[in-house]
Amino acid sequence: MRGERWRLIAGVALAAWLILPFLPLAIWSVAHGWRFPDLLPQELSSKAWAYALSARAGVLDSFALTAGIALATTCLAALIGVPAGRALALYQFRGKGLVTLLLLAPAMLPSLAVVFGLHGVFLRLGLTGTVSGVILAHLVPVLPYMTLVMAAVFSGFDTDFEAQARSLGATSLQTFRTVTFPAILPGLLTGALFAFLVSWSQYLLTLAIGGGRVQTLPLLLFSQSSAGRNDLTAAIALLYILPGLLILIVTARQVTGRGAALARGLGG
Amino acid sequence: MTTLSLSGLRKSFPGAATPALQDLALSVESGALTALLGPSGCGKTTTMKLVAGLIQPDAGDIRLDGQSILSLPPERRDVAMVFQNPLLFPHLTVAGNIGFGLRMRGIAPRKIAEEVEEILVRVRLQGLGDRFPTALSGGQQQRAALARALILRPKVLLLDEPLSNLDAGLRDEMRSLIRKLQRETGITTLVVTHDQAEAVAIADQIALILEGRVAQHGPPQDFYQRPVSLAVARFFGGVNFLPGKVAGSAFQSALGALPLPFDRADGPGILTIRPEALRLGPGPAAMMAKVVDSSFLGTQSRVGVTIAGIRLEALVAPETARALTPGTSIGVTLPPDALWVLPPDALWVLPPDQAGVSPDISTA
Amino acid sequence: MTDRRRIFLLLAPALLILGGLFLGGLGLTVLRSLRYMPALGLTVPDLSAYRAVFASPGFLASLTLSLWIATASTLIAASLALGAALLLRQSFPGRSVISFLVQLNLTVPHIVGAIGILYLFSQSGAFARLAHAAGLIAAPGEFPALTHDSFAIGIILLYVWKELPFITLVLLANLQGIGEDYESVARSLGATRWQSFRHVLLPLLAPGLIAASALVFAFAFGAYEVPLVLGASSPKALPVLAWQAYTDTDLSTRPKAMAMAVVIAGIGLGLLLLGFRTLRRGGPNAR
Repeated sequence: MRGERWRLIAGVALAAWLILPFLPLAIWSVAHGWRFPDLLPQELSSKAWAYALSARAGVLDSFALTAGIALATTCLAALIGVPAGRALALYQFRGKGLVTLLLLAPAMLPSLAVVFGLHGVFLRLGLTGTVSGVILAHLVPVLPYMTLVMAAVFSGFDTDFEAQARSLGATSLQTFRTVTFPAILPGLLTGALFAFLVSWSQYLLTLAIGGGRVQTLPLLLFSQSSAGRNDLTAAIALLYILPGLLILIVTARQVTGRGAALARGLGG
Repeated sequence: MTTLSLSGLRKSFPGAATPALQDLALSVESGALTALLGPSGCGKTTTMKLVAGLIQPDAGDIRLDGQSILSLPPERRDVAMVFQNPLLFPHLTVAGNIGFGLRMRGIAPRKIAEEVEEILVRVRLQGLGDRFPTALSGGQQQRAALARALILRPKVLLLDEPLSNLDAGLRDEMRSLIRKLQRETGITTLVVTHDQAEAVAIADQIALILEGRVAQHGPPQDFYQRPVSLAVARFFGGVNFLPGKVAGSAFQSALGALPLPFDRADGPGILTIRPEALRLGPGPAAMMAKVVDSSFLGTQSRVGVTIAGIRLEALVAPETARALTPGTSIGVTLPPDALWVLPPDALWVLPPDQAGVSPDISTA
Repeated sequence: MTDRRRIFLLLAPALLILGGLFLGGLGLTVLRSLRYMPALGLTVPDLSAYRAVFASPGFLASLTLSLWIATASTLIAASLALGAALLLRQSFPGRSVISFLVQLNLTVPHIVGAIGILYLFSQSGAFARLAHAAGLIAAPGEFPALTHDSFAIGIILLYVWKELPFITLVLLANLQGIGEDYESVARSLGATRWQSFRHVLLPLLAPGLIAASALVFAFAFGAYEVPLVLGASSPKALPVLAWQAYTDTDLSTRPKAMAMAVVIAGIGLGLLLLGFRTLRRGGPNAR
């Protein structure tokens, strides 16, 4: 059928466009001197990878630091976002629209809008240049996503299950542990993955609050890129997308649902 | 007036174990209201979607007045379908919804507005044209959806379970509205339903679909009095079945020879009688039976009796049933003109309590 | 415990963090942009920083550039995403591969995509090499400037690459919620395939499409690292200009940086409210 063929052509074009920017990164990371106008490198080499993965390059340290910051941000966001999401989904109260806007706006507004002021606040608190300062700053864009996903999760949760547990003699803590938590866990994991990736991708907030002393992967990536080390830049860039890829493969289903959860949040 | 005929329709869906339709043939009477009746999953909605052109059959043909419409896209078939959910477009007002089809045809807005006003009155939604669908009750939404299809004066109108989303009270109202509008317009109409009582109440003709085929097609009373098979009889609430054989003009069974008021070729068969036709009490042709159980159903009572190890059920007035405690002996009459013989059925198995019981005939 | 107290306790941590950090940061930015700095003896707010910002030609060029980037990126990404969503809604061989790529792309940080685009489209990049191999150009300088260029083509390409999947996923989720029945109804009421898309599906998708587009616009307008990698040195995208003013050794430019940040915040907030209102008003998913 003609429609079938057009669909296939459009699909191939879309796939090609999506995958295109990864190709030069993959080639550069194993290239040994790849000068214009060579279509492919004259020589392949594992030098860039060997260096990037060696202890002295600091790439692995930076990787660990970035992951640590993202993990800490995610845990904090979960602790704060779960109750907030519950309140937004299950209760009606005056000023809810305003509260929703306040809880969502930070994720939607460019970081640049707050970063200067945040820098001023953190200077006073003595948090600039510290890892904890960076974690706290990352909460600004991360927490809204967590809250949004949890609100979507709780809006599909029937609180009668909790009432039933309480009437069968469970304390409120037992009820949370044995009834509520298992019910929201899949959604919570989705939100956590999302939160992790948002923190993992932060550039400007880390740069401003870390003041160059907290060297996460994107900062390292940019400094290598401006130094013109294309092979090393490419290797770091590929390392940098690894967690996202892993998360996607391990939890293919949840991440598909993430788009849906996000859109549900948008539609709620 | 338009005749719709379906022949040899087959349709299977990927991943489904059995085909939705196998060799479905049906000729719908012109200008009549025909009910497509069947249990859920029997292929009723698939049939509608095929006629509307929303899906394509694997084999077979669909004709309007003898012309095949298979190659036509849905918008050129002149067949309008009303779905089970009203599915009013949420971004359009009620009037916008009802006028949608005319707008797609490029009719002038003023003309559309006139026709919409007119039909709003006929479906009793006058004054609600400016509302959005969410401001309407379920019954109003269903009527608006009906108006949206009727305004196009289609050759064939398809209604998919039009009453299933309504409360009992609204159901009667909607049913008589559909009936009234169909009589006024004379549009050939096909209504899908899973409820036999509803089909009987609304339709001129019923086509019962079982396992992807038309099991029986005809006027409603035929399904009670002259079912063509055991499956049809059971679908219409038949409970009394007696295996045996036709010999001469009588039916030979565990109950002896019962005279038949109609001619039937000799051979094996299943005798059936509606529970409401069974008479309890003394009578010239009554057989002695034992009451097994009795349950009160409101306006009637259901009484189970056994004769010669055969269980029969009768629907009788509650005051008759009151005296019939289990164990009581009572006469049972099977009026000859209420008897009907079904062809033997390979799938029919005796209920366990009757299997292996030796005939023990005692007449009173 | 009353409901009110419960709601308050549930929301308090989030409001404290976001209220404190976000509103605090935003508030301080606004105060500083008004040159209200009691520590320096400036206690009378004034608009001189805004006046200075709007009077400088560099600012207007940057504002125009950023608006151009955001508008072009959003329009292209949204229209392509509409096509992609309609495509991925149907089944065809290879759909799962494309779905995977769409989701993968969502997890890739902007800066990685920006470097990929740079290596593809720069004057010594992959496409320039292909052009050379085809005999179209002899030296890198002859290849059209697609990165670091004054039309910000590289930046727009990156946003189209990165935001197309985002809008596509939002639309796919909406399409799933809408189902196919509305279109079937339209077809059986005599609408052609195109009419049922134009008059039924598109209006039903509009709220989601507009909301997602508003987010993309706000992001493309205010993001810093993408123009940093792919942008020209002059004019700079507004966020880059603002950051430069903030980190200037001359501290007197800071109020100007703050003023620019307020402009960015204002435009972002306006779009956010617009998206919010669109969602509230219509759509089958908005109850």
